[in-house]
Amino acid sequence: MIGALAMPALAVEQQAIVVRQATVYANASSTAQKVGQVGAGTRVSIFSRKGGWKEIFSEEQAVIGWVRSYQVREGNFAPAAEIQTASDSRGFLSGLALFSRKASSFFKSDSGSTSSGTATIGVRGLSEDEIRSAVADPAELEKMKQFASNQQRIDGFVRQGKLSPVTIPHIEN
Amino acid sequence: MKSLLQLVLLLSLALAPVVSSTVFALDLGDLKKQLEKTRQKIDENRQKLDQVRGKVSISEEIEIGGNLVSGLLGAAPLVDDASLQRYVNDVGFWVAAQSSRSELPWRFGVIDSQGINAFAAPGGYVVVTLGLFNLLDSEAQLAGVLAHEIAHVVRKHHLKALQKTMKRDFWTSLTVKAVSDGEDRQKLNQLVNAGVQLYASGLDREYEYDADLHGVVLAARAGYDPYALLDVLTTIDSINPESEDLTVLMKTHPPTAERLGNLARKMDGKMDAYASGRVNAGRFRQLAKNP
Repeated sequence: MIGALAMPALAVEQQAIVVRQATVYANASSTAQKVGQVGAGTRVSIFSRKGGWKEIFSEEQAVIGWVRSYQVREGNFAPAAEIQTASDSRGFLSGLALFSRKASSFFKSDSGSTSSGTATIGVRGLSEDEIRSAVADPAELEKMKQFASNQQRIDGFVRQGKLSPVTIPHIEN
Repeated sequence: MKSLLQLVLLLSLALAPVVSSTVFALDLGDLKKQLEKTRQKIDENRQKLDQVRGKVSISEEIEIGGNLVSGLLGAAPLVDDASLQRYVNDVGFWVAAQSSRSELPWRFGVIDSQGINAFAAPGGYVVVTLGLFNLLDSEAQLAGVLAHEIAHVVRKHHLKALQKTMKRDFWTSLTVKAVSDGEDRQKLNQLVNAGVQLYASGLDREYEYDADLHGVVLAARAGYDPYALLDVLTTIDSINPESEDLTVLMKTHPPTAERLGNLARKMDGKMDAYASGRVNAGRFRQLAKNP
């Protein structure tokens, strides 16, 4: 039955991992019927998205249904060795930085706990000391201003991206 | 006894013109009036001070922000990729256009640092590190990150923090003099130095929660899926917290899991209608990752 349910959706399936224990609902609503639970570290497939919800299938726990979007993380979870040598389309990313980002210790382990290693390879991050002791670079600021957008550029950008503004009131904190 | 009373009476009459003010001042009713007047004057002055305290003109705000960002750029320059920088500016400009401060000269940039972070500065400046940018998968996620920073500027979080940091007399003399004034320039530098410290120590945690919520609405107004920021936070939350790339972000922001929980709670039921907003993952990959 589960197999039959999963089959038609395989074309749009994406691999993901449950990052915190999640209740699985029959529909994308917390008032919908609860159909099960998936624990942190469970590998799932994502079929579709709706609002803050993702429709998942877990072969391991034989459950199909909807969980909160932030409870699962999408991505390719191949073994670490494979990831490190994988080609990447990000041209401006240096090899070392890529290694740092993809190093297995960079992410928490799949079970949700933290692995012991830290990723220190690659370009260093902006440390607290570097921020405090930075010497201003006015030339770089002028360069930044040159990339600023304007109304003419935005019109094309919005049209191409099929973006339309929506009127929404702010939510009170 | 009688003569003594007469003497006192005579003396007081004779001295009356000299001591009259003292005698009247000792009158209780008058004293109350005087006190009331003084109190009113103090209140008026306090109100005047509060009006100028922490208030800077838009040009002063832009000047302060420019100096702050100039410092950040000194620590980590812009990524050398014009098409990437222009794309980030388009997304940011469009999101900022949905805010109440669309008239600011908004400028965005990706800086060459593997640290995972983003910074906003008064006057409409926003920078995102390459480390954070590389974690993103779509234009909606980029919009969510920029919207959080835009919210800091729109809500004047840095200026409010500086208002608390600097003493009252600092603000009164700042606004009285022109920016070009040498002494005032020194004051502006003091503000910039205090602002730099804010980047290292962080804003009030309440401001971060506020920027999360405000940012989600701005992204939705721009036509993007408002849940994309939650996806970014989920990714950040999955990173080893001991990673050096996260040190500053973790020190200056509330725990990511709490930000996620807070957002999910506050958005619950209110944003579902806008969740079909654009994600634009294709354009993001095409424009941002193939320079």
